[in-house]
Amino acid sequence: MKFPLSCITVLAASLLLGADPASPSLPKILPPCCRELKPAGPPTDKSLYQLDSEWTSDVGRKVKLGVLRGRPQVLAMFFTHCEYACPIILNDLQRLQKALPDGLREQVDFVLVSFDPERDTPESLRAYREKSQLGADHWTLLSGRPDDVRELAALLGINYMKDARGQFAHSNMITLLNAEGEIIRQQIGLNQEPKELVAALKQSVLEPQRNRP
Amino acid sequence: MRLIRHPVTAVIAFLLMAAAVALDAGEPAPGKSAPAGMVSVPAGIYRPLFRGPDDLREVPVKALWLEEAPVTNTDFLEFVRQNPQWRRSRVARLFADSGYLRHWAGDLDPGPGATDLQPVVDVSWFAAKAYATWKGRRLLTTAEWELAASIGPDHRAGTNDPGFLRAIQHWYVTPTPAVLPVVKTRRPNLDGVHDLHGLIWEWTADFNSALVSGDARGDTGLDRQLFCGAGSLGATDRSNFPAFMRFGFRSSLKASYTLPNLGFRCALDVPVTPVASVTLTPSPAP
Repeated sequence: MKFPLSCITVLAASLLLGADPASPSLPKILPPCCRELKPAGPPTDKSLYQLDSEWTSDVGRKVKLGVLRGRPQVLAMFFTHCEYACPIILNDLQRLQKALPDGLREQVDFVLVSFDPERDTPESLRAYREKSQLGADHWTLLSGRPDDVRELAALLGINYMKDARGQFAHSNMITLLNAEGEIIRQQIGLNQEPKELVAALKQSVLEPQRNRP
Repeated sequence: MRLIRHPVTAVIAFLLMAAAVALDAGEPAPGKSAPAGMVSVPAGIYRPLFRGPDDLREVPVKALWLEEAPVTNTDFLEFVRQNPQWRRSRVARLFADSGYLRHWAGDLDPGPGATDLQPVVDVSWFAAKAYATWKGRRLLTTAEWELAASIGPDHRAGTNDPGFLRAIQHWYVTPTPAVLPVVKTRRPNLDGVHDLHGLIWEWTADFNSALVSGDARGDTGLDRQLFCGAGSLGATDRSNFPAFMRFGFRSSLKASYTLPNLGFRCALDVPVTPVASVTLTPSPAP
């Protein structure tokens, strides 16, 4: 009985989530970008989730950034073929995740958005996720159209350009978004102590609870 | 992407893709003239001011149709009429800072401080981009803008004309007048484009591709901590001081900024004739 039951569960889950059943390699846990969208009012005046652009996740689904609403997100831009800084950025993000105290760690998600729509297909993002051991429970990997990448970068204050070798020269920046998608803090540069970011995340998780009636 | 299950759909999809490829590979349609208010700018070569050791010294830029003057208050008024989310009182702070259209009298009233034919200023990059999209056009890339701006009123190679560079430089050190002149009062460049210099600064689509952390007056030795790949960049032509100024200016902007001397204009790709019909003619026997 165990086998058919689990089959039905998987089928039901994929129907609920609108997944394409033909897609062969959906992970068991869907990354934060690709879970059910909770109903919410219009985004705030400063929310990044006002962006209407569509992004492709490493599980191959098209999403708008608004799906990330509801939990704080730590966002960085990168590309999988990066030879210099991106591994350090990723290392900084992972160090930040480790530095979060128990209880907070479970509430914070991480988003990596690619500069490189050409090469960062869902497949290569998926391979990057596996190689870098980015758990689907908290990590989202996205790529988008060149115009939309340019626009998101502009919102974050990230400058970048592609060189003749196909490498992207870019600002190194980690951005914290609160649950509403508003920028609450940005850290420029590499290899910094995560202390301040941890404090900012702590505050952002506590604040809405304090304000609640 | 959804799988295409029906064979006919697949065939149609293939034909559409083939057509798209053919269109891509086409040549500019002969005899097509630019829409009213736009001029044809021929293809050319842009020589970037900053480049890495592996980068091209010369970037080919395709021919395009370019608005002959910056977007005016009248043009922009029509845009905000039709797109209420871009009116001054309604624009999201994310997309424009608090100075957005500050010189207008009201949401739909430019007022005496912003006459019809003055270029619209105090608009953010997002607003400029939204206007261009609404028009069915686009912002120019920095390469396209710089190439157009390198053409002088008397010489195509304006950057080799000391008088031309001096005039631009003179404008850069002159404070923005309290009342902006109207568009198209100066001589156009050889392609018929007005006001690339001497009136306002202009947003470009990829203004945020400039990798400078602060001051761009010299080779600043970009900080590798701040910019991935930064160590590889250096300036190529130090004699073109105005281009330096623009490079520094652009790199200091954020997309939501609005400034009393910063506006924009739009461009269009020149439509191309499909080459499919050409490839159908048999090639001569070897």
